[in-house]
Amino acid sequence: MLEVKNLHSGYNKIEVLHGINITVPDGKIIVVIGRNGAGKSTLLNTISGLVKIKSGSILLDGKKLPSSPHKIVSSGIIQVPEGRRIFPSLTIDENLIMGGYLVSPSDLKTRKELVYDTFPILRERANQQAGTMSGGEQQMLAMGRGMMAGPKILLLDEPSLGLAPLIFNQVFELVKKLNHEENMTIILVEQNASIALRMADYAYVLENGEVVIEGPGKALVEDPRVKAAYLGAANKKV
Amino acid sequence: MQVMVLLQQVINGLSLGAVYALIAVGYALVFNVLKFSNFAHGGVLGISAYAGYIVANQLHWPLIPVILVGILTGAVVAVLVELIAFRWIRLQKGQLVYFFVTSVTMLMALEQVLIIRFGASFESFPYTLLKVKVIHLGELTVSITYLLSLVLTIIAFSVLLYILKKTKIGIAIRAASNDLVATSLMGINVDQIIVATFIVSGLLGGLSGVLYGISASLSPQIGQIVIKGFIASVLGGLGSLKGVAIAAVALGVFEVFLVATIGSGLTPVVIFLLMVIFLLVRPQGFAGVSFTDKA
Repeated sequence: MLEVKNLHSGYNKIEVLHGINITVPDGKIIVVIGRNGAGKSTLLNTISGLVKIKSGSILLDGKKLPSSPHKIVSSGIIQVPEGRRIFPSLTIDENLIMGGYLVSPSDLKTRKELVYDTFPILRERANQQAGTMSGGEQQMLAMGRGMMAGPKILLLDEPSLGLAPLIFNQVFELVKKLNHEENMTIILVEQNASIALRMADYAYVLENGEVVIEGPGKALVEDPRVKAAYLGAANKKV
Repeated sequence: MQVMVLLQQVINGLSLGAVYALIAVGYALVFNVLKFSNFAHGGVLGISAYAGYIVANQLHWPLIPVILVGILTGAVVAVLVELIAFRWIRLQKGQLVYFFVTSVTMLMALEQVLIIRFGASFESFPYTLLKVKVIHLGELTVSITYLLSLVLTIIAFSVLLYILKKTKIGIAIRAASNDLVATSLMGINVDQIIVATFIVSGLLGGLSGVLYGISASLSPQIGQIVIKGFIASVLGGLGSLKGVAIAAVALGVFEVFLVATIGSGLTPVVIFLLMVIFLLVRPQGFAGVSFTDKA
């Protein structure tokens, strides 16, 4: 279980998160929605150790998280960052090797096979430079790279950003599958609120660095405040 | 006969270019990861050249150990420079210009160390270091030091290629050149990768210093040939090590021909002018490729 307790964090002198409380039980999908600049990415980056905690704490199974990003990864918390941030000049295969940097050579092999089975397109292009792939393929690579480390908790920062609807449905299906079949805990940050909330066990709405609404995903879909602010446009389309 | 002279010049140019390529790639490795021009690399190669000189001149060590001393000194000095000069700026998230100014300062500081120890005069490696001086290939006379530069450069680049393509740490150095933050999200300790980058860069720098010292002469200002590495890196397009190495070899050949035709006084002027023109016409370099995120 991951617990974020009264978390204040930000960059230099600017505080972005003002006292966030979030609980992430094992094996659940937790969704965080909010507008641009609400502090969603800052939350994930603080959990990953990229942004310094000013006060409050983040506990994994009751213990404080280490402070440097690479140690947080070795404790089982993996982030698939916003904008994918794959390594463009490395091949797809090399990107996956980097994802499994901390993994033993034999595990590396089996995990790579698993990723290639999940995304056959990656196997086809294993020796191609990652920067030459399309956005959707790059997102698949970013997810596959995240899977390589064998995460206990997977942090996904706007995986649907810039993707065609068909592709992002695939991404969300994969997230559900990882959760159900691998019992992976997921923290999903999304602007695409309607789809994300429907798959959430529990969800939080972030505004100006604070949690303003929280509740089970299905309850939030029906919440009039959420409907008005976050689902309006999406519902009209449907 | 004319053809032979030409061929002779090409060989001389290639060997000079090989040393430039070692310098340029060592310099570009650090640039790619930390995105600043590390002129301290010149200091690293200077200290290494003199370390080789000391064991050759005073301890009378033979050629191979002398070269090894130079290479290892390069690695040690490069790591010290990273720890003393750059790490603190990095941890404070300092601006790139701080790195740049510090690197120039380190170049001058390391030069001063050499001046204090050896004075401002020129030195040369002992004649006894190489038993055979030249070999004759038909009408060609090839200096053994030039051949040595060529062969060792080829070996060094083969090893480098293997490290960067086949080892986990080498791939991580390339990943760090793409995106340092994403590299840390892989569970990779970027401090270690940066030290590894400086080690590899220092090994190449050490080799280039000793080779340049053996084939030319030594003075405390030897480190300033890092400028040639810088020029080659710009011409080659900084992101591509292959482009950088090829540009360096071309620069070496070109320089030898210029010296033969317009003399050594005008040569640097022409080279700098050409670099300025080149930057205007093709700022991304010969091989420069830039990747952008695709939506």
